[in-house]
Amino acid sequence: MTAPSRALPVLEHITDAPRRDHTPIDHASAAKTFNENPDRVGWHDAAVWFVREKRDAAVAAVPEWEALRELASSIKEHTLSRLDEYLVEFERNAVANGAHVHWARDAEEHNRIVHEILVARGAVRLVKSKSMLTEECGLNPYLGARGIEVVDTDLGERIVQLREEHPSHIVMPAIHLTKEEIGETFATHLGTEAGNSDPLVLVGAARLHLRERFLRAEAALTGVNFALAETGGIVVCTNEGNADLGAALAPIHIASVGIEKMIPGAAELAVFVRLLGRSGTGQRVTVYTSHVHRPRAGQELHIVLVDNGRSAQLGRADFWRSLKCIRCGACMNTCPVYRRSGGHSYGSTVPGPIGSVLTPGIDLVKYAALPFASTLCGSCTAVCPVKIDLDAQLYRWRQIVTEKGYAGRAKSVAAHAGAKALVHPRIMSVLGSVVRAALRILPSPVARMLAGAWGKTRDLPIAPKESFASWYRANRGGAPTKGAPR
Amino acid sequence: MTSRDAILAAVQAARPAAVARPDARRPVLGAQVAPDVAKEFMEAALVAGARVTEGRRSDLRALIADAYPEMGRRVSAMEALDPLDVSAPTPHSFADADLFVCEAVLGVAENGAVWLPDSRLRHRSAVFLATNVLVVLDRARIVEDMHAAYAQADIAHEGYGVFVAGPSKTADIEQSLVIGAHGAKSLTIVLVES
Repeated sequence: MTAPSRALPVLEHITDAPRRDHTPIDHASAAKTFNENPDRVGWHDAAVWFVREKRDAAVAAVPEWEALRELASSIKEHTLSRLDEYLVEFERNAVANGAHVHWARDAEEHNRIVHEILVARGAVRLVKSKSMLTEECGLNPYLGARGIEVVDTDLGERIVQLREEHPSHIVMPAIHLTKEEIGETFATHLGTEAGNSDPLVLVGAARLHLRERFLRAEAALTGVNFALAETGGIVVCTNEGNADLGAALAPIHIASVGIEKMIPGAAELAVFVRLLGRSGTGQRVTVYTSHVHRPRAGQELHIVLVDNGRSAQLGRADFWRSLKCIRCGACMNTCPVYRRSGGHSYGSTVPGPIGSVLTPGIDLVKYAALPFASTLCGSCTAVCPVKIDLDAQLYRWRQIVTEKGYAGRAKSVAAHAGAKALVHPRIMSVLGSVVRAALRILPSPVARMLAGAWGKTRDLPIAPKESFASWYRANRGGAPTKGAPR
Repeated sequence: MTSRDAILAAVQAARPAAVARPDARRPVLGAQVAPDVAKEFMEAALVAGARVTEGRRSDLRALIADAYPEMGRRVSAMEALDPLDVSAPTPHSFADADLFVCEAVLGVAENGAVWLPDSRLRHRSAVFLATNVLVVLDRARIVEDMHAAYAQADIAHEGYGVFVAGPSKTADIEQSLVIGAHGAKSLTIVLVES
């Protein structure tokens, strides 16, 4: 199996700064499109749930798991409550270690800093390891438009890059694709045999193709899982080894870090390393957990600290705890909505429950639909390794979206009508009788049609003979005390 | 105002009420230490996809030859194995290495990872470029978990260090596990008696 050398797909035609589009994301429509192929939905659901099950098995083997989660949560809350001090401490130690530290207020500034580092050293070939932050910043199209060859080296990210797509999951970027689709992509771009979709063959081809890119790279950019304030070091976790191959070979290593990645030091790091692999993929630890404190002899190390809306989120009393996130993806793997709607339906860099909590703070109009892309079942909160109260935050965003008038007319009218009925027992009682009668009399297809979106894919319940109030009167005597059943 | 000062000012203005720094050391977790950490380590390393062999340090050359009998270019970062050359002008020169040999500072029983800092790797790239990797680990240098590992490793003492658990792998194509993504296609750990 050989992968003939091919020119890289030209990325220049992708428009610059795509994230400035404020068109509201229509999650429901996108999910409907995803559901047009029931086989794909069933397969996606099962593939993602399989990862949730692997997580459960790994977690069950750690008796102190709940204590670890509690500890991780309080470490993050502590660090965030003193984040400015930890950032200064990190900078001081990183500079003492020989790193260059840069600060970027937003995506635009981050991209400009990275570009300037490359231009100043004449580097045009960049290999990039997994970094949701650079995805968030739209770095690839920015650099592509300026003549820099950017090669994503995580296999899943490379697949979506070749297809000119975005990752649909933060840990498994190509989980929305079948191996047949990936086989086609590789046949087109890497010259593999058409129709061959054996993962072993495809990974082998990608290894050869990317090896060549690693060896000729003039700069490597990596994301960062944890930044250590006390020692000024950065920690990167991968299974493939791509971050290390990039950084160990290229003369320039650029690390892009969201400011919320800060933790105090090595003792705290132990807690997070134990949680991350198990929560993300059910592994006890990722294959490579790398700690960079100083560049190797003759190498430059640049660390770019990025805010891009994080300080604003820190100031939101109801939502600052979302910054505890360590990007393990467990909330996506367990989410019944994510599993059946696919990551792209969220229209954001980070999809799933955590994405739906982070994005409204970035652009409330654009992402108004996302807090509603949830059943509020709370499964995400139950698996979160840093105990983010995701379902509570989703519910709070719904209230804000509705108060600001972005919920959509149908949703607002229905919610207001519902609120009226719930506070007026008499209206509730009449409505109840009408609905019970309708369920009994109407043929199922008609009743389902009247039930709106709910009835489209569901059978309606069998109507009870009487209301709870009348059952109570008959069986317990007297009317239920007003306000009692709370 | 520089971006640095603007970010720090924004963070300071936004930061929530102070939360005390918790004690992150293991005892607070009440975890039980396994009675036989070497056994636990070997099981975990196998789960991570590594091979494990045992022997005496004095038999190291034979153990390496047994594990990887037919290797073209062998590279070693261990002082004791002189013919295996690690001197190289650039990190790229290990691209055609078939086997890289080094000795770990410690092993972690809970996950089968070994700790390899700069001083044990000599060149950071070799352990990632070589097709096969063999790591020697002193049986007495196995600790229970990551808490103990970080307490002993002193990660900032050297410029770089990596925990390695098994060979490189990916499941990015339909969740099918494939060993040998970008890094080593095989990892063998040789546990030696001191």
